[in-house]
Amino acid sequence: MIKQNKMKEYATMKRRKFLLFGSMLGLSTGLKAKAYTPFEKEFHSVEPIIQHVQEHLFPLDSKIPSAKLMRATAFLFETIKHKSFDKDIRAFVIEGAKELQIREKNFISMTVQEKEKALRAYEETNYGSNWLSRMMTLTMEGMFSDPIYGSNVNEAGWKALNTFGGQPRPRTRYIEL
Amino acid sequence: MKSYTYDVVIIGSGASGGAVAYTLCKAGYKVAVLEKGRLIRRDEFSKDELAYARRDLVTPNLFDEYHTIEKKVEGTWEAIPTYESGWSFWNGNIVGGSSNLMSGMLHRLHPDDFRLQSKYGDIKGANIVDWPISYEELEPYYALTEELVGISGHYEKHPYEPPRSTANFTQKPTKENAVVNLLDKSCKALGFTPLVTPRAVLSSDKGDRKACYYSNFCGSYGCSSGAKGSSREALLKPALATGNLTLLSNTHVKYLHSSKKDEVDYAVVVDTITGKEQKIKGNLFVVAAQAHESARLLLNSANNHHPNGLGNSSGELGKNLLFSGGGSGQGELHKEDLKDIKFEDLMTTGLFVNRSVLDWYFIDHWWDGKFKGGSVEFMFEHQNIISRARKNGYEDGKLVWGKALGDRLVKRFTEHKSIRFEIFNDWLPNDNCFVALDKTHKDKYGMPVGKLRLEGHPQDVKVGKYIAKKCEAILEEMGAKNIYSAVSSVAAQNLVAGGCRFGDDPKTSVLNKYCQSHDVPNLFVADASFMPTGGSVAYTWTIYANAFRVADHIVKKLKMS
Repeated sequence: MIKQNKMKEYATMKRRKFLLFGSMLGLSTGLKAKAYTPFEKEFHSVEPIIQHVQEHLFPLDSKIPSAKLMRATAFLFETIKHKSFDKDIRAFVIEGAKELQIREKNFISMTVQEKEKALRAYEETNYGSNWLSRMMTLTMEGMFSDPIYGSNVNEAGWKALNTFGGQPRPRTRYIEL
Repeated sequence: MKSYTYDVVIIGSGASGGAVAYTLCKAGYKVAVLEKGRLIRRDEFSKDELAYARRDLVTPNLFDEYHTIEKKVEGTWEAIPTYESGWSFWNGNIVGGSSNLMSGMLHRLHPDDFRLQSKYGDIKGANIVDWPISYEELEPYYALTEELVGISGHYEKHPYEPPRSTANFTQKPTKENAVVNLLDKSCKALGFTPLVTPRAVLSSDKGDRKACYYSNFCGSYGCSSGAKGSSREALLKPALATGNLTLLSNTHVKYLHSSKKDEVDYAVVVDTITGKEQKIKGNLFVVAAQAHESARLLLNSANNHHPNGLGNSSGELGKNLLFSGGGSGQGELHKEDLKDIKFEDLMTTGLFVNRSVLDWYFIDHWWDGKFKGGSVEFMFEHQNIISRARKNGYEDGKLVWGKALGDRLVKRFTEHKSIRFEIFNDWLPNDNCFVALDKTHKDKYGMPVGKLRLEGHPQDVKVGKYIAKKCEAILEEMGAKNIYSAVSSVAAQNLVAGGCRFGDDPKTSVLNKYCQSHDVPNLFVADASFMPTGGSVAYTWTIYANAFRVADHIVKKLKMS
């Protein structure tokens, strides 16, 4: 508890350069043109693919609730939009989705097996692996945080693991007093 | 701007700032406490994991305020801003500081921690010196802290348990999980002595502070009953009740101003909401901003009289920064092969483990040799749900997702529970662990940020590994599976001390034995900065105790003038 943050290693010190690696290589051409469009607009352009990725990672037939039932994409959008969210990672979430869209043009209409293959292939790249890991984190943050954030609907995430948040529960999001 | 002059201006409202404010307000002096963070009241705290544990909401946004960390790259030191790495060196910038968020597993230092050099001699590459005070001088203040802050526990005689002036703790230990039966038995089977951990959490009501309600989410969170012995609950609230305290939250101190060589006359502060600057005048200034930031503030307060930083004629300001040596480890207790206790009892949430082992505080062994060791705390893995769910998410280097993830998580949460140990041993002071000013990077207020070099001494890792082996044996004896430990010289940013050594010689120390600047008589540093060596326990109890001692001296000084 006291030393809980101790495990952060120097290896992560240059993560930002690492995160932005894909775009620096010019893998995602056309990003710059949209640099000045509002975040919402940009997000909506990748919203379907993000939603399909989340639903693939957290499917309906699992012992934990599905991304769909947990409104995972709405949560993801709201939390990365919040001022407390790291702005570089916010950009990375969008970029990584665009990159996947470029790699797999028909991702949304793929079968489950095809999606699995596409995502595992994306995972083979460091950039893709990083992005998918971020998708996992952002989906779980919603599913297992207080229902006040709009995911973890009816505490279904907590119930599935037979574990519950502590008392008192938050009355506002992000400690807005 | 009002030109009111306070008797004493304190910078920082954490453990040490609170202890000084409490003492001075009770003695009738007019005190201002300047805190850059906002106030979160007892009834405003919640167990919101997303907000408290996963976002920077009680610490500054790293793009606004940050540190740079030096790392040797191909022979040269390269400073990397923490907004690049995400490795924040802020620890709870709210009224009461990080004492709001601590786990509160506390120990006193041992008498020999005050005389490490005399007792164990020099170690090559380490700047070990004795303290200018002894344990006997601090003991009354350890006792005072125990009472005022409210530390619960149970004293048992042990060769390495420091002597105490009172027979036992007035607060009984907090309630314990049945796992302690298994842990105690396993320790004893190996010939080790488990001790009850003193904890800054009330087991019974104390004034308007209510006993612990076992929320299961203690460390990293504010306490909603007032049980946790934070500076805010235990000291600032009673200080406010005297009518002598002006608590200025959202007030960031940029630097201290001194018109004369031997006197600070005001602090230049900025309102963190409006951005408006003003001067806060005082007759005496107490810096209590947490070690690395206190040194930075004094370095940023350089002027014509003090070109190398305020009170830095020794050149020692910012040097010999300390963290905590050691590391941590854990193992899983599984349903199917649990011994001696019932699985339902193990899974009961909220109750504490409350065990520490001091058997290796000093090692004097025919084969292993004679050297300073450390202390060990046992606890459950932190109960945060998101972080537990997110841990170990890989199999054969690939992310686990889909149905397999569901199976894995349900098993992890319902079929076993992880028991954990943390090792605390000396972080030896050395030339490559310090804070200086960064020449290029500035925070959003235009002040140079602290540049940290965080190298540890090889001895620290050696000692940590020695103790980790013993701890792993305990977990094995308990029947735990998948045991691992990690001991390294990575600095734990929440266990920081040093940077303004106290000592009798103004040439080799920043502060005198009362933590008063050798150069500037109306300037004190009350936080953990004073420590020339850190000892082998978490710092908080010593920070509280020493700040009470410093405050008593300030009261005497003020009475004389």
